[in-house]
Amino acid sequence: MGRSKLISPVRGKPRKRARLAKSGAPAVSVVPQLEPGAPSDLDLMNAIQAEDPDALAQLYDRYNGILKALILRVIHNEAEADDLLQEIFMEIWNQAKNFSSQKGKPLGWMVTLARRRAIDGLRKKQAYARAEERLQNETEQQPDAWAHNVTEEEIVLSDTRDLIRKVIAGLPPAQQEAIDLAFFRGMSQREIAAKTNTPLGTVKTRLELGLKKIYDGLKELRGEL
Amino acid sequence: MNFKEFQNQSRLYVIGALEPEEVEEFEKARKKFGKKAEDYIGECYGLHEAFALSLRPAKASGAIKGRLMAMVRARKEA
Repeated sequence: MGRSKLISPVRGKPRKRARLAKSGAPAVSVVPQLEPGAPSDLDLMNAIQAEDPDALAQLYDRYNGILKALILRVIHNEAEADDLLQEIFMEIWNQAKNFSSQKGKPLGWMVTLARRRAIDGLRKKQAYARAEERLQNETEQQPDAWAHNVTEEEIVLSDTRDLIRKVIAGLPPAQQEAIDLAFFRGMSQREIAAKTNTPLGTVKTRLELGLKKIYDGLKELRGEL
Repeated sequence: MNFKEFQNQSRLYVIGALEPEEVEEFEKARKKFGKKAEDYIGECYGLHEAFALSLRPAKASGAIKGRLMAMVRARKEA
């Protein structure tokens, strides 16, 4: 993906030039910058490991909206998403001792945990078929939620979101769909092939190409945030 | 499996899209490449962050934080 695409102005707002990832730094982390003086996510995780409830409260304030959006994308039910969000932050508190900064960033760890719980929750409640139907309805109304959902609010993280969505929107729709079904629906390649009536090899190729483009695109935009 | 193929498989692995038979082969390669493999897999988990950040944040019920913090404080005092 060309660098110029990633640094194009969004809504007429000038952007800083992208810098390539620094050597030795995590290649695709795109965690947004915080206000000066605010504790980092890692500071908060360390405090949670030391059983400081206020640190969890701050982490909740910072990321509840992102995690709720992720859960909602998987289970498509507002009330269940709220319940699950509470359970996930409780799990963050209980499992904080298992977090290691050497293995990744706190947000990545939380997202991984939330996604797993959301997909597990979806399957356990046997709501798969119902959610499938809702997803189908949504897809018909809005064929590509990533690429076309462009009405932006002036909220924290909106620039980060714009940039990431620009990378994702650069993918062909078939690649976006395959990644969407794998990541947000927890589907295997075979399940995606069956759902989309596509040969298994084609699904694999779509996933591989799409993920590589996103990975490479994120490497480029890191440093712009 | 060479390292480039391992990198491709790693991106599928972190989003849970490898088929069971591929996971077996992937785990063998993971052992073969050692720390280099672990570092790369760690980087790939950044995709999770990115996918989550690509979504517009959703508003959670205002009651959740209160319930959560009450549970956490009760757990801490227990």
